Amino acid sequence: MHALRSPIARLAALAGLALALTAGSARADLVIGDAVPMKDVKMTGVNGKSVSLADVAGKKGTLVVFTCNHCPWAKMWQTRVTEIGNAAGKAGIGMVAINANDPAEYPEDNMDGMKQRAKQLGIKFPYVVDASSDVARAFGATRTPEAFLFDAEGKLVYHGTIDDSPKDATAVKDAWLKNAVNEVSTGKTVTTAETKAMGCSIKFRAAKTTS
Amino acid sequence: MPRPLDLCLRMLLPAAGIVLLAGCGHAPTHGSAAGSAAVASGDTLPLEPVTAEQVHERIREPGARATLVNVWATWCGPCREEFPALVALAERDRERGLRVLFVSADFDDQAHETRHFLAEHRAPGPWLVKTGRDQEFIDGLDRRWTGALPVTIVYDPAGKPVQFWEGGADSARFAAAVEPLLATQP
Repeated sequence: MHALRSPIARLAALAGLALALTAGSARADLVIGDAVPMKDVKMTGVNGKSVSLADVAGKKGTLVVFTCNHCPWAKMWQTRVTEIGNAAGKAGIGMVAINANDPAEYPEDNMDGMKQRAKQLGIKFPYVVDASSDVARAFGATRTPEAFLFDAEGKLVYHGTIDDSPKDATAVKDAWLKNAVNEVSTGKTVTTAETKAMGCSIKFRAAKTTS
Repeated sequence: MPRPLDLCLRMLLPAAGIVLLAGCGHAPTHGSAAGSAAVASGDTLPLEPVTAEQVHERIREPGARATLVNVWATWCGPCREEFPALVALAERDRERGLRVLFVSADFDDQAHETRHFLAEHRAPGPWLVKTGRDQEFIDGLDRRWTGALPVTIVYDPAGKPVQFWEGGADSARFAAAVEPLLATQP
């Protein structure tokens, strides 16, 4: 008996090998200690102004949250993200929320939807569009919501989710992002630097190819 | 040993509402590889809460040449889009030893939606639902997983992951991911 006897099976095996080789290689995953990527790329916000990550950086740090309008998980956390972001600004940490989704996938994620959401939530920080999704790619962001917190030197000190209770804000036991923001703003080392939660996959726009 | 048709009839008799017949009429060659025949109504379909370790136990059960785990949710657009292709693959390659384990990441209070989605799509069982804290489940299943949905992982008969990806896929990608394992002679 021979394995992979038929041409179809051999082709499928090659395709499987190709998948194995390419899986996970498309993203530039940031790790703790990495610098802010693509910090000079301008992104248009709901107020019509364009800002870069360098523009929004605070004296004590920068908080970047990839989010969107349609995702149920982003919605569950959006009030808490707004509260954290608004408070971070007062504490010297610049916050920006980035929507990297292709609105062709979810029209709710277009600029009009973003403007409405920002007004509804009382967002006091830039809510901007990553028009090519390249900023999200550079971060290695995969889902919404996903947070990246950088310290005053621009080094990544926290990456992950918001807290441990997406559905019920009153049941939060570990307020990871809020705690990390408080620690960075007071010059302390972040206690929990990496966390995970489920979320909606980012609907990336097609990557531009260079010839 | 009851015949497959008898089993289907036994399961159908108590079921009320929508009754799905997909999977009835032929016995799975590889026993547990095929999972349960998709016979249930949206109201009575039994969901089974599982931890990551319990998913791994299912993966390690003998009888499959390939096990494909797909974590999905009713609220996840790409999950819904790719779901029919996965159900079709599970049906097509069941007798070649493919075991497909669907694991819902829906919340407890979404059980109604979860059941009806599974029934509507004639998804083969077991009908698993993730339980416990996200991070434990995510890292327990595979540390490469960031938490983005859907996620698909293909395991060999020894329970070793040989394919892993996040995000939606089409039938060609699913087929290519399992074919090398199914085509390999035991």
